[in-house]
Amino acid sequence: MSQINYRTINIDQLDPEASVNFPMETLLPATLPQPGTSSDAANVATQVRQLLRGGDAEGALRAVLDTAPLGGDEGAKQVHLATVTEVLQGIRQGEMTRVLEGVCAGEGGAERADCLMKYIYKGMSSPAPGSGAQSPRNKSVSPQSTGGFSQIQGRNLGEGGGGQQMSVLLNWHEKLVEIAGTGSIVRVMTDRRTV
Amino acid sequence: MSQSLRPYLQCCRSSLTAALAISNFASQTSERHNVPEIEAKSSPELILNPITISRNEHEKLYSGLTCYPDIEPSVNSVRISLSIKQADEIEKVLVHKFTRFLQQRAESFFILRRKPVKGYDISFLVTNYHTEHLLKHQLVEFIITFMEEVDKEVSEMKLFVRIPC
Amino acid sequence: MLLLDYQNVLIQSLLTERFSGAPPASIDQVVSDFDGVTFHLSTPESKTKILISINVKCFKELVQYGAQEVLEREYGPYIVTPEPGYDFSVQVDLENLPAEEEAREELIMKLALLKRNAMAAPFERAFDEFTKLAEEASQYTSESAPQGVKEGGDVMAIHYREEEAIYIKASWDRVTVIFSTVFREETDRIFGKVFLQEFVDARRRVVTLQNAPQVLFRSDPPLELEGVPGLNNTGEGEISYVTFVLFPRHLTPQRRYENISHIQTFRDYFHYHIKASKAYIHTRMRKRTADFLQVLNRARPENEERERKTASGRTFRVQS
Repeated sequence: MSQINYRTINIDQLDPEASVNFPMETLLPATLPQPGTSSDAANVATQVRQLLRGGDAEGALRAVLDTAPLGGDEGAKQVHLATVTEVLQGIRQGEMTRVLEGVCAGEGGAERADCLMKYIYKGMSSPAPGSGAQSPRNKSVSPQSTGGFSQIQGRNLGEGGGGQQMSVLLNWHEKLVEIAGTGSIVRVMTDRRTV
Repeated sequence: MSQSLRPYLQCCRSSLTAALAISNFASQTSERHNVPEIEAKSSPELILNPITISRNEHEKLYSGLTCYPDIEPSVNSVRISLSIKQADEIEKVLVHKFTRFLQQRAESFFILRRKPVKGYDISFLVTNYHTEHLLKHQLVEFIITFMEEVDKEVSEMKLFVRIPC
Repeated sequence: MLLLDYQNVLIQSLLTERFSGAPPASIDQVVSDFDGVTFHLSTPESKTKILISINVKCFKELVQYGAQEVLEREYGPYIVTPEPGYDFSVQVDLENLPAEEEAREELIMKLALLKRNAMAAPFERAFDEFTKLAEEASQYTSESAPQGVKEGGDVMAIHYREEEAIYIKASWDRVTVIFSTVFREETDRIFGKVFLQEFVDARRRVVTLQNAPQVLFRSDPPLELEGVPGLNNTGEGEISYVTFVLFPRHLTPQRRYENISHIQTFRDYFHYHIKASKAYIHTRMRKRTADFLQVLNRARPENEERERKTASGRTFRVQS
């Protein structure tokens, strides 16, 4: 006992009733879709790509947002993020407003808007997923875990598309805020169903 | 403001506005306490999903701004951390000096944190008391101005170190 | 840009006052100068006889390089036996001053330049040595020159401060002056680096500076100093070395005097500049902070502190 300074032990962590040990699962709704894997996400990606190639941008965006792997593992989420980014980049600037209005209207429109907002933020916080997302990274993309950005800086220097991707995301963000409002951003922060 | 910078700052602005939707929340663990939950981290329930508005190198090239905000919201407080680009030794020194200078005056900058969050250069902590007593849109405006100016200031100082030579 | 004077201003003003015919008074004053040099001005015998003594940390080394001769040349008739605790003393008699105004001023200047002249000795010696070597070398082609001529003279080291030194080396085609300087703080080192880098850049950029001496900067001892004893190379980069290469065009007799003065003040000027830069940045930050505060204060609602009255006229304050 003398080896451990018992004063430094956080006793709350040992107490299942303590608020530190709040069961986060209880915050997730029961209607959460079944956990998907990265191969499921890849299937979705193929379908969406077909829609996009067929010129149905609105349908593609709608489909990709409806199939978001809210309960999926990290791999599936990364693949899906890449798909969403691809769709967003595939839509011309002039069409943005029209597509967005279409996607956000109708049944489940608000859900889709929130989901898109989540993806925009995720896309902005993770470094240039366009090229690297096919091989899911092990490390989580939450901002706390990546202490400095120096390594990221070094790694991304060779890739050319990141700046452009950022600008696309920013444009979408602006349009989406116009349509869905600030509340959509609040829901990104509060919703425990991460994408 | 340059044209390419505008959407970026707009994004920061709306994100901050959204994040600052905070309310009074008494501590769950100790009675008659009221602490910023983002600092206390007393329960994961009260911490919300953090937002990063790009930390990669391209963003800098893209917008010309070299300041990366990271917003960590919680139920009654928001922590906003900034990384300021430091390309070489002299910039490192200048950023360090400047941020330290500001942090020593944190008392008058009521939302400034005395120490930055690990991995960042400077942090702000906005609590519900701040948003109650101050104008929220001006707080957001301040952080945006800060992001714009700090970078400008560092590069200007860097120039001036050389000019007297 | 601010240039430092070579003479000691305090001595200068004090003597000017005395020489101007003011009633004689007793003086006892210790004056400090750069590089830990101290002067002592006193009137030990009578009020009209002013004794000026100088204490230089590296006087022994300076004597070794011919300081005594230089000082004798400069102050010949005024030299007296050094005051105890000091290295060198001169005495002037107020009753026995040169008659003309100009000659008096010249004397004041000369006395105020005591430190400069004491430190000048090794430089003068190096410049002489250079002339000699250059003459010798002109008799040979570069291949056939004897070893001694090729390599030039010995390195003269002057440890003029606790941890810092000047090294002077004469060769047949140039004179190299190396300063070793210590940075107490990491920040100073970086500022210094920027400053010195500018020396190199400016010389390359500005055409009129092409004729200036070459300045090199490094944080490890330069090759010229190889084998010099007492070189403190910790390898931690605390000590930086600044090398000036003076070419024959800088060493013509008419330029010598200026040259020596300039080089001597280099270190003081260099460190002065670093401090000035820091001070400047500090004022800038102060201003910028005020700007930021102004922006932040806009967030304060304007009519926050308005007094409120109840119907009966009593005032109350809202508890926050």
